[in-house]
Amino acid sequence: MAEEKLLLLKNIRKSGYKGTLADYRKTGGFTALDKALKQMKPEAVQAVVKDSGLRGRGGAGFPTGVKWGFMPKDTGKPSYLVCNADEAEPGTFKDHLLINEDVHMFLEGMIVSCYAVDCHHGYIYIRGESMKSAKHLQQAIDELYKEGLLGKNILGTGYDLDMTVHRGAGAYICGEETALLESLEGKRGQPRVKPPFPAVAGYNGCPTSVNNVETLATVPWIVNEGAEAYKALGTPNNAGTHLVSISGHVKQPGVYEVELGVSLRSLIYDYAGGIRGDKQLKAVVPGGASSPVLTADEIDVPYDFDSLVKAGTMMGSAAPMVYDEDTDIVELAYRTTRFFNHESCGQCTPCREGNFWLKNLIRDFLDDAGDESKMSRVKRVAGGMIGTTLCPFGDAAGMPTVAFVQKFPEEFRKHFP
Amino acid sequence: MPEFNAKTLKEADALCERYAEKLHALLPLLHLVQRENGGWLPPGWDAYIAEYCETTLNHVRGVITFYNMYHTEPVGKYHLMVCTCVPCGLCGGDGVLEHLEQRLGLRPGQTSPDGLFSLEEVQCLAACDKAPLVQVNEEVYERVGPDQLDKLIDDARKKSA
Ligand SMILES: Cc1cc2nc3c(=O)[nH]c(=O)nc-3n(C[C@H](O)[C@H](O)[C@H](O)COP(=O)(O)O)c2cc1C
Ligand code: SF4
Ligand code: FES
Repeated sequence: MAEEKLLLLKNIRKSGYKGTLADYRKTGGFTALDKALKQMKPEAVQAVVKDSGLRGRGGAGFPTGVKWGFMPKDTGKPSYLVCNADEAEPGTFKDHLLINEDVHMFLEGMIVSCYAVDCHHGYIYIRGESMKSAKHLQQAIDELYKEGLLGKNILGTGYDLDMTVHRGAGAYICGEETALLESLEGKRGQPRVKPPFPAVAGYNGCPTSVNNVETLATVPWIVNEGAEAYKALGTPNNAGTHLVSISGHVKQPGVYEVELGVSLRSLIYDYAGGIRGDKQLKAVVPGGASSPVLTADEIDVPYDFDSLVKAGTMMGSAAPMVYDEDTDIVELAYRTTRFFNHESCGQCTPCREGNFWLKNLIRDFLDDAGDESKMSRVKRVAGGMIGTTLCPFGDAAGMPTVAFVQKFPEEFRKHFP
Repeated sequence: MPEFNAKTLKEADALCERYAEKLHALLPLLHLVQRENGGWLPPGWDAYIAEYCETTLNHVRGVITFYNMYHTEPVGKYHLMVCTCVPCGLCGGDGVLEHLEQRLGLRPGQTSPDGLFSLEEVQCLAACDKAPLVQVNEEVYERVGPDQLDKLIDDARKKSA
């Protein structure tokens, strides 16, 4: 196996590491918290994160320090940091790895980040199905309260912080940050109209930053090692390492930590061990179900935010799903639209109706009742969802569907009567 | 109308204190009711929770129907969730579902008459590297084949006999 660049998984990869508080302390855990609280002003923490070039790991890749900077100060309202641990994008399972196996590293990142945005009550929104991970998180938080690392007067510095785990209840859309905030307020998880953005009016109408688990878990490393050290990793404008969840027909599915810019081919063949049964590769969906598919000829692309956009797709949540020569692309397309149809929140007509039509249209192909006009209808309906909806879900559902038909027309033609 | 007992009331009040408003605790409160009632929301609880959160019954019902995990019908003691999303569905998820359907005589969404098992087809559970998989209550069983599934069912039956 090719070598990983270990920042976030450095503890997890050590044999015998269990992720207990004692384990984490032994590896130098909580030194970033100590440094931040005792030697740095919140603005200084924000500045180092901004200078590091860290971009959000939840899917959109927005610069974290810049996002924090959008939160207005002196509004007289409290500020909130909400961690997005919904992780429901098909193919993605990296955030759960951090929570399950190195929870204190993540929590240290969460606490330092709360300090940076002057937040005194942080929320962790975790998907409802992950009951075990939620309990594990809660136990770790209880422990930190006992140790004086949460609660009043943390490390004797006068900084107070409460932390609450909020379980979702099974709805992919709650990963979208404004739907998540609605859900956190006890409502249906339906995305809000933006603006106002959460930075201005988020949880309970107060300035709020929503950040992904991996994003926050990276903050202690940056505080310890500095912005330059982080920027030195990866490619220009795509700093650092990324946890990549690889699944599908590879020999070793799993999470790999690599510098941004490694080739997609290398991820599949060197890290994940190549295709199961030494078969030929047919297709890769490179960044979760919302990203447009790549053909086997298109995988010599650097795996980073900007290169994948240039290649007509996106890195999304960094979750390549790899499919071998025996895969029926129509089956793949069907499952993808079925997912989006199931998860649409129903507010916008193009998304609600479009996904329903797409699912039925593609179902026709599976029943060998496809034809050319249905193929163009799939493209037209999916295309009509792009850019016409309230939240990015419409694009996320439309773009991959268009790509399946455009890049694999022959696969669809196999399903003509 | 059902209501919280002294212990759950205390737990519920503590939940509410974690939020800026009582209503914000609605999701955890519904989880609490389900935990106390064998995994579902028996009739009347929606109205009680609405009163407790100082909101409308409509609001509570709207929330209950929006999310997949709130059940208004009883679920089995063993709630089997099979992932047939992408990529699991293309890595054997359908086979797992079919096997369980046959062994249990249930279709997705159904509960066995003895109340022991319920079967559900679910979307991605953030464990795709473990495909094919089934989550039974809180526990994920990874790379499951027919033998392991049979054993799971037999063990559950023995335990409840
Ligand atoms: C439909 C949809 C689903 C999303 N799901 C997730 C998710 O599960 N986890 C996540 O961190 N971000 C998800 N996002 C992105 C969030 O809206 C938000 O950009 C992110 O949490 C911000 O964190 P970051 O800046 O650290 O990346 C989703 C976005 C959309 C449109
Ligand atoms: S695009 Fe879809 S998921 Fe997003 S708000 Fe509209 S209907 Fe809801
Ligand atoms: S697709 Fe089944 S766990 Fe992700």
